[in-house]
Amino acid sequence: MGHLAVGMSGGVDSAVAASILVEHGYDVEGLFMKNWEEDSEYCNAEEDYKDALQVCDTLGIPLRSVNFAKEYWDRVFQHFLEEYKAGRTPNPDILCNTEIKFKEFLHYAQDMGAEKIATGHYVRNKEVAGKVQLLKGLDPGKDQSYFLYGLNQEQISSALFPIGDLEKPNVRESAKKLGFDNFDKKDSTGICFIGERDFKEFLQQYIPAQPGIMVTSDGRKVGEHDGLMYYTLGQRKGLGIGGGHSESEGAWYVLDKDLENNELIVGQGHDHTGLYQKCLTASAVHWIFGEAPENENLNAKIRYRAKDATCRITDLNDAEISVEFEEPRFAIAPGQSVVFYENDVCLGGAVIDKAFN
Amino acid sequence: MIYFDHSATTPVHPDVLDLMNSIQKGVYGNPSSIHKLGRKAKSVVENARKQVAKSIGAAPNQIIFTSGGTEANNQVFWSRINQDKKHVISDTIEHPAVLKALSQIAIFGIDHDLVTVNEKGCVSITDLESAITENTGLISIMLANNEVGTIQPLKEITELAHEKNILVHTDAVQCLGKMPIDVNNLGVDFLSLSAHKFYGPKGIGILYFKNKESLSALMIGGGQESGLRAGTENIGSIAGMGLAAELATDELGNHITELKSFESSFKSELLSFSPNAIFNGDPENKLPGLVSVSFPGYRSDILLAKLDRAGMAVSSGSACGAGEVKPSGVLSAMGVDDKTNISTLRFSFGASNTSEQVDLLLSELKTILTD
Repeated sequence: MGHLAVGMSGGVDSAVAASILVEHGYDVEGLFMKNWEEDSEYCNAEEDYKDALQVCDTLGIPLRSVNFAKEYWDRVFQHFLEEYKAGRTPNPDILCNTEIKFKEFLHYAQDMGAEKIATGHYVRNKEVAGKVQLLKGLDPGKDQSYFLYGLNQEQISSALFPIGDLEKPNVRESAKKLGFDNFDKKDSTGICFIGERDFKEFLQQYIPAQPGIMVTSDGRKVGEHDGLMYYTLGQRKGLGIGGGHSESEGAWYVLDKDLENNELIVGQGHDHTGLYQKCLTASAVHWIFGEAPENENLNAKIRYRAKDATCRITDLNDAEISVEFEEPRFAIAPGQSVVFYENDVCLGGAVIDKAFN
Repeated sequence: MIYFDHSATTPVHPDVLDLMNSIQKGVYGNPSSIHKLGRKAKSVVENARKQVAKSIGAAPNQIIFTSGGTEANNQVFWSRINQDKKHVISDTIEHPAVLKALSQIAIFGIDHDLVTVNEKGCVSITDLESAITENTGLISIMLANNEVGTIQPLKEITELAHEKNILVHTDAVQCLGKMPIDVNNLGVDFLSLSAHKFYGPKGIGILYFKNKESLSALMIGGGQESGLRAGTENIGSIAGMGLAAELATDELGNHITELKSFESSFKSELLSFSPNAIFNGDPENKLPGLVSVSFPGYRSDILLAKLDRAGMAVSSGSACGAGEVKPSGVLSAMGVDDKTNISTLRFSFGASNTSEQVDLLLSELKTILTD
């Protein structure tokens, strides 16, 4: 059987992915990636490494380490900062997959002599009529295809996704049976390099904050904000607006950002019309099959945790795409990606520039 | 696994292992106890002290047992806090147990300067001399470097230092068993050793001192080791270290001959199929059997992984906690550019090797490099 390099994060998903490949008789090596140069209480690379080592020792496979901190900083983190400076809400995990895991890591593994790589993503791949499809993971609560929409044919066909047809509880159970210490390790949440730390404090280290005022869409001042970059469209928590907060009017939400005047536009109630849009334009368009789908009527997610919704591609060129949803969508945030599906097949996506009705 | 990483650590000599096992089993007394079992334990410790002392030409009462080279180095530097002259001179290619300890004690008023090395990894006496100030109390220069093997001119250094009433420490952990060490000939005031580098156990080492006046304890407690290193003695390891030191010096001549022959056949054969390979360090004045080679155009971590898969252990640069490879500070200090730096592997041959193993290594390297 072939020589594979499995990206080991120290987490339970990649651990079980590796175990499945070992069980199938592959010649498996673990590869631990370090993408961030910091070992603080928030960023536990050393602890993660120890967990990965325990798994590899249990499986009897070697674990090696590789550092892509510079590549990550240059190609993912700088972009992340640029996006925040522009008032958008980027998703660095998407870029991490296309630039680091399925580029640097893949090439490194190939240099090492590996034929393919494997990861613990909840996705599947399948060759159909000469093309490789990226499919959703079978656990509907865990599907990670949203984060991998930026991959091309070569990248997807160079990878195995051993846990794509499993559900998380089975993964944990399997890890426990195999004696992995990380079987009940908490799922990582949020952005990997920020971890559990305070987001505002983190961002402040890199981008100076420009406080300003919060206004309603008709221009009434209702509070002050700490800097537009700290807020995301549709955000409810942490606005700190007092008064007028009666049940009839509902909680305050971020509706929009006025970068020019440094004003945060807010409105009351989850049903506020300013929170819902039917149309969007997006750029940095990528199609997994290398070309746009023939079918214009698709499903799309506007953020990782959003449900698929029926939509139509109304306009399309190499650089930009226009999309109209059948029903209005809640809080379409520039910087996030719109990712298209046909049933379980992930087709590709683009980075949202603006939403409108 | 064929092991070519003896500068990282060595396998324990079988006789040393046997001795340690029998001591752990049979000699469980506390050396501080005055009953028969205590006296037996005490005599084991003192016998080992004589063995180690003899291996470096010291008197037994000039040696304390420590947890290893790192602790021995730290004790010399931290002791400076209690001395009048608070300036220390060292060099840029020392082990982190020297460089980081020196950085750490800066907050207690101990300043230090680091002299640079030439492209062979050697410090210059002139540079050292010009770094000396009125306040210089200590010079610490390693006897031989752990990454490239270059041997430093310690004798000249101590002559210079002693003229100016400066004490000299040397980290000699790489050296026992690979070159003769005589503290009187070198003239050093302090010397650190670690047993696991000469086929002894890990976690035990010594600090040699000419006079105890300039030394303070790091570990305070029951007064062991003349009050300079408290804590119940690690008897099994101490005994093992004693025997390992004795064996290393008894077999020194033969071992050096063997290491030199491994080294020369490895180097010449390697060049036959990898003509661009660059040997780092001083080709003459070096520890035998330690070969630092750069393979321009390759990444050392990839080469290392491929050798590892083939069952061969070598090392590259200095590993950190999460196991990844970073450019070596030693090579940078010697003026090696970053690209060449990260293409560098260290092969360190030792007593566990045979010439057949060296041939296997060469044929594996040939496959990897000419593939």
